[in-house]
Order: sequence, then structure tokens, then C-alpha cells
Amino acid sequence: MAHVPIQRHLLDNGLRVILSPDPRAPLVAVNLWYDVGSKHEKPGKTGFAHLFEHMMFQGSANVEKGQHFSLVQAAGGTLNASTWLDRTNYFETLPGHELELALWLESDRMASLLPAMTQEKLDNQRDVVKNERRWSVDNQPYGDWDERIQALTYPEGHPYHHSTIGSMEDLTAASLHDVGEFFATYYAPNNAVLTVAGDFTPDDALRMIERYFGPIPANDELPPPPDMTVDPILGTPVRELVRDTVPLPRIYLAHRIPPFGTDAFDALDVAADVLGAGRASRLYASLVREQRVAQDASVFAFPIVGGAAMFAVWVTARPGVAPEKLEAATIAEIDRLASDGPTEADLERVNNLHAAHAAGTLERISERADRLSMYTCLFDDPERINTEVSRWQAVDAGRVRDALSASMRPENRVTLTYVPAKEAAA
Amino acid sequence: MTSLRPPASAPREYRFPEFAHHRLDNGMGVWLVPLPERELVSIHLLTDAGAATETEAQAGVASLTAKLLVTGTQRLDAGAFAETTERLGIEVGSESSWDSARAGFTALGSKLEDGLALLAEMVRTPRLDAGEFDRLRGERLNDILQSRADPGRLADESFLREVFAADEPYGRLSGGSPETIEALAVDDVRAFHAANYAPDAADLVIAGAIDADGALAAVERHLGSWTGTAPGHRHFRPAQRGGRRVVLVDRPGSVQSELRVGHLGIDRHDPRYFPAFVMAALLGGVFGSRLNLRLREELGYTYGARCSFDPRRAVGPFTATAAVQTEVTVDAIRELLGQLERMRTDPPDEAELATVRDYLVGVFPLRFETTGGIAGAIEPLAVYDLPSDWWQNYRHNLESVGTDDVHRAALELVRPDEALVLLTGDADRLRGELEAAELGPVEVIPAP
Repeated sequence: MAHVPIQRHLLDNGLRVILSPDPRAPLVAVNLWYDVGSKHEKPGKTGFAHLFEHMMFQGSANVEKGQHFSLVQAAGGTLNASTWLDRTNYFETLPGHELELALWLESDRMASLLPAMTQEKLDNQRDVVKNERRWSVDNQPYGDWDERIQALTYPEGHPYHHSTIGSMEDLTAASLHDVGEFFATYYAPNNAVLTVAGDFTPDDALRMIERYFGPIPANDELPPPPDMTVDPILGTPVRELVRDTVPLPRIYLAHRIPPFGTDAFDALDVAADVLGAGRASRLYASLVREQRVAQDASVFAFPIVGGAAMFAVWVTARPGVAPEKLEAATIAEIDRLASDGPTEADLERVNNLHAAHAAGTLERISERADRLSMYTCLFDDPERINTEVSRWQAVDAGRVRDALSASMRPENRVTLTYVPAKEAAA
Repeated sequence: MTSLRPPASAPREYRFPEFAHHRLDNGMGVWLVPLPERELVSIHLLTDAGAATETEAQAGVASLTAKLLVTGTQRLDAGAFAETTERLGIEVGSESSWDSARAGFTALGSKLEDGLALLAEMVRTPRLDAGEFDRLRGERLNDILQSRADPGRLADESFLREVFAADEPYGRLSGGSPETIEALAVDDVRAFHAANYAPDAADLVIAGAIDADGALAAVERHLGSWTGTAPGHRHFRPAQRGGRRVVLVDRPGSVQSELRVGHLGIDRHDPRYFPAFVMAALLGGVFGSRLNLRLREELGYTYGARCSFDPRRAVGPFTATAAVQTEVTVDAIRELLGQLERMRTDPPDEAELATVRDYLVGVFPLRFETTGGIAGAIEPLAVYDLPSDWWQNYRHNLESVGTDDVHRAALELVRPDEALVLLTGDADRLRGELEAAELGPVEVIPAP
């Protein structure tokens, strides 16, 4: 694996800066992680971190509504942002000679968003976000699965109990006052990581960063992180049955697991690929190809850092296959891996797939910048980008077996089953 | 307000990578793009075996053949083939569109020889097993079932069926419809493969960590002895079904309406390709496009509105797309049609055009950041026989598009009066309103 170069700097106001030069293409990526996500939302304010992310594109003291997009795009750049449980990220990729434009735009909204805020803009983006929710959740078959699975896996009041998109009621209730308070609390340099990757001169970049971000005051009263404490396992099996307008039954299984960043999480990440990555994976080979009980099978270990992360498996039944039968067949494969552990062939397969995938991810400077921001924001350790593959390769059969045995237990399992409302459709 | 925008420094020159085009004695084209600084290599084998080579009675056979390729070779069964490739870190993909079939993968450069050997074995001597055929045919039928429950995919499929004249091949998905897929047998796939997968109908693209001479020798070793000829694709002259009308696909309980508004567009060789491309970007191809600014950033009716041409060997559709909340459906349709009309009556000034054109020109190097992106860029050269200096001239061709060209493209290629307005939504809530709106004759049809 190519080594990713890393330079760390810390501004006086607490902004953590990561520089990773790579002159291969005349492109530069600017990426900001703010250490705020939906887990920071207060009761009655679900969905607000994401709605706030939309407001960050509505202009700031020196930038008009829509201008953030139009300036970056006219410069030949792409840009976007996203919000998840732990964080919010903002990113631009531009021709290298436009680095300063991206830094200015990001600094202007970090320094001075509020003068540009109006009720009209909030109402507009509230409507947009509600339509995002309708599109991705409410009007979509199985669309509310993650909302349901989070609510079942984490107890009421836990910061992961609710989904990032939030509820319609809470979105309706969001106010300009909330925007101001959220901005003042979380959008401060000492709550952010700024990464620049690609074709630039580090000294020049650092000078620009000092100029644009240096004057922004820190928030000396950052709130303590939310209490993420949760029992490592559920303690009792949890089940939910949903009758919906879906053509085929689908089963989601979720388990609490140790958080992203732990050795056990790495082992479970490997286990997820042994079970679910590629056509030689255990679930595809057994459920889809050999037994032909499933239409598809997916496995994902959620890389989240608070209290407990989540290991999710989902399988769609082929027509005529009873959900109970598919559930039993799925769990049998998970249990088999948990008791016997992966073979050497399993590990060789997932390690080589992972190495190719990691190289593919790092081909894009935007992805490289995002990972550097992620490892710095979550673990204060950008070097993790260079040990990712070796951490994976260090996972042996015993660690996979131990980690699965500890977490894939019936008393630690949420089973969410969708069945067609019209039985005839099945 | 823009006075604070920092100035750009001097741009660094960028060129599309140099590549070489060879032809083997058996007729197969070989395109090599050596990128010595990369770790990865992308290999795409393109064959003139897309849906345009199948008959309508066998619609779907091209897609099933492409998908069945990855289920093993005469030497390795489905499980062994998956195991062998994935242990090398290679995930082989195989799929088809209207104009070609593509099999390939991206892997570490050190796997070039092994990967190429397996890809050649897969395409030349596939297993085409009856049991695996039954499984994939079943999965394809299930996927269609699932897609019709998804409002966006239901709208896409319905729009094609309604916008093209009856019996036009393009009026269906390239993967076929349940009726024709159910009638297919494994022997149909075997015959399709035997007839259409041949070196004189194939092009191999390799981009990434390769040495050009070594790669060409490896291609000769694994594909040089491949023999055979293929008949090639059918030729279409698609026709539209009719003038302005409204078709509502009933989807009870929908909280949004998925809109698809449009008509026939251009083919891949249309001389108006660049003006059409720039015009569509300005109307609905970027965040700051007219459609998105109006429907999203001003009205909040949708998470996003966009439009695009889908140029193929023959004329494909032009479609404007948005998912809008049910309550504002009729007004959203009016607004969307209004922006199409405005494209004709209110051409962009130089400043509006520059924003979009500069984006399309400036984003050029970003499209080729990955080996997969570069291999993909060679594909239209091979499939559509575009000039080999296509990418060398690409930015100049974009920069040459002026406001008059955009206006002419809009007048010729955007025709709201002839547009089909198709939507999926709740007929109980929408039918009366749509009829009263006088947008055109309204037809309500059940979801298939």
C-alpha cells in the first residue's frame, strides 16, 4: 500500500489541521469534520444536525445563498456535505489552483453563518429536508429500517436511539433560535478538523489556513460529549414485525458490538466481509446460491464510536420462502462462523479484497481527505489511515471467533421482519 | 459581495492520459492506458452483445447472458470461480446495456496476468450452467417485482414504456420484461453467447499500473487465440408515442409523486451533442441549474430536480426528474414545464452559461482520478467509434458552445408541448386535480 504522507498542525484556536500533499493530479481536496452529529441532538430536536448542515449552504456574511455551490462549481470543483450519527462533514474537490477559494468559503461560514440566516431560508430548507425524508424513508419500500433498527437496538434516551433524518414533527418545530444556538455551540474551530489533500504546497496552504481560520474564536465552553453509556449486549431478544407494501419479505438482524476503533470491532469488520462481501461470501454462497432461500444478503458493521456500535445483517427472501426459514438459515451461517471461525481461505479472500478496495478508496483525494479527517476527529490519530490494512491483516481466526461468540448471541439480537401487507404478493 | 472571493493561482496543465489502440489478428481491439504512478489496474472487456443484439421475442437474453458469465467456467463451477477470483482480490462484474456488454474488474496491478487469464477463460469458455441460469432468471424476475414497488424505478420503467411508440425496443428496460424473461431457457443464453461473444465484436481496455508491451503480450497470450465472428447489433429509428399527455401510474398511499417529464432526445452521434450537453446541464445538470434552483431552493417542493439526455446508438430519451410531495404535485408539474419553456424563450446570458460551462470544463481532470474512470472514458471511443482525439478536443468543444448554440439546442431539443408527463402517485388524491389542471389528456393506469 502506498504510504499517505501526513503533516499535523494545531492553530491557536484549537483547529486541527491535516495536510497530505500528492502532486499526481492537479487537484486538491478540502475536507472538514465537525465533531457533531445526530447523537448530539436534544430530545424533541431529532433531525436538527442534518437540517443545520443544509443551512450551511444558505450563505454566510460574505457569501450569498447558492453562491457556495456556484463558486465551487464554476471553478471546476465538486462539493457536498453529509451528517451521520457521530459527525458532520463538508468537502470540496477543486483544481489545485483554486485551493484558496475553498478555504475562504469554509472559513466564512465557520466564522459568520448567522448574519445570513433568515426565516425564509429555514422554511425552504425544512421543506427540502422533509422531501428528502419522504424520498429516502417514507415513500420507499423498507425505507424506515434504520430508524426502526436503531430504536430497537439502543434504549430510549440513548443518543443512537433515533436516526439522523429525524421526525417530521421535530423538523417542523426547528426554529431560527435553534440554528443560532447549534452554531454557537458546535461550529467552532476547536470542534473541527480541517484536512487538505492533493496538489498544493504545504507552506502556502498553512499560510492561507492561518489567514482564513486563525481569527475565528474558539468556543471555550464546548459541552461535554453526550453520555453514550449502554450495556454491551441487549440482554434479551427483541423482535418486530412490520406489514408493509413490500413485494418480498426481508429480515434485518442487528447486534450491539464494541465500538469502532477497538480490536474487537476490527475482528467483526473482517467477519462482516467473510459473511457478506462477494459471491464467495458465506451468506451469498449458502443462502443465495446453494439453498436459494435469499434474493440477496448484506452485512455491515456500523463504524460508530459511542458506547456500542452495531452489526447488521439483512437478507431478502425469495418468493415462497417463509421468513422463519430464511431467518433460521441466516443465523445458522452466523453461528457456524462464530463456532468454527473463518478458514485461512476466508481470511486470504477478505484481506485481498479489502486491500484492493482500500487502494481504490485512496485513489480519490477526496476519500483520502475524508479518512484523515475521520481518524483525527474520532481518534485524534490520522496515522490510522496507514495502518488500516495491517490492522485488518492482523485479525486471525481466533479473534473473529471470539468477537462473534461474544456478540452474535440470541439475547443480543434485534430481529426486524418486513412482510408484504398483501399476503398474496408473497 | 463576490469581491472577497480570493483569486485563483496559475492553473496547472492537465491532459487526458496517452493511450494506444491495437487490433489483434482475430479482430479484437485493444486499448492500453499505462499509468505508471498507479497501484491499480482496471480491465474492461466490451462486446457488441447488448440488448441491441437480441430479438424482441428474447428480450432480456443479453442481460442474462452477461450476468451468467460470472457463474463459472467449464473448468471452475460457480463457487470455485468466485473463490478463485476473490482470493486474488478481484471482484468480477459483468453486465449489459443497450449498446454493449461489459465484463471486467479493478485490482492491484500485480494481479494483471492472473486476472486477465480468468477473465478470458470466463468469456471464452463460460459454464452457462442450467441450474445457475434458473437461479439468475428467478433473481431477475424478483428484482423487477421489487423495482415496481420502488416509486422511482417504477416511474423510470413506466416513462420508457409510455414515451416511445408501441413496439419500439427502447420502450422497455434493456434487461427485458417479465413476460420475455420467463420464456427464456438456458439454451437461449448458450446460443446468444455462441453467436455474439466473438473477438471481432470485442474491445479490451486496460488502464493503470501496466507496462504497455507486457500488457499487450499478456492480452495476446490469453485472447489472441480466440476465434469467431459476430453479426453485430440491430439498427433502430425510434419514434415517439404522441404529443403532450399526462399518465398517472397509481401507487396508493404515496406521500410523494415521482415525476418524469420529457420526450425523445438525441443519439450518440448527433452533431448537437456538445450544445445539448451544456444546455441540459444548465437546465438540470448541476446544483445551481434552473430546475433545481426553482423547484428546490426557491419552492422547497423536492430534494432535487434534474434533467438529462440519454444518448445511445439510436435516439434515447430526454427526461426531467423530480420527486415532489403529493400536495404540490400539480404546481410542481407546472413549474417544471415552465422551466422547459423558459429554456426556449429565455436563453442564458454569457454569465449564466459561463458558470455551467466552466464547471464542465474545469471538472475534467476530476473525472479521471481513478483507473476505472479512465477505462470507462475509453469505452465510448470503442463502442461508438468516436475519433481517437475525442478527449483531447473535449474541453475545446465545450468551450466553443456559445449562448446562441444553447438557445438553438433548446429550441430544437426541448419541446414541452410534446412532452409526456408521467408520474407515480396516489390516484385517489391526484386524479381530479390533474384533470382540472388542463395539462393534457389524463390517463390513470395501475402499476404493473
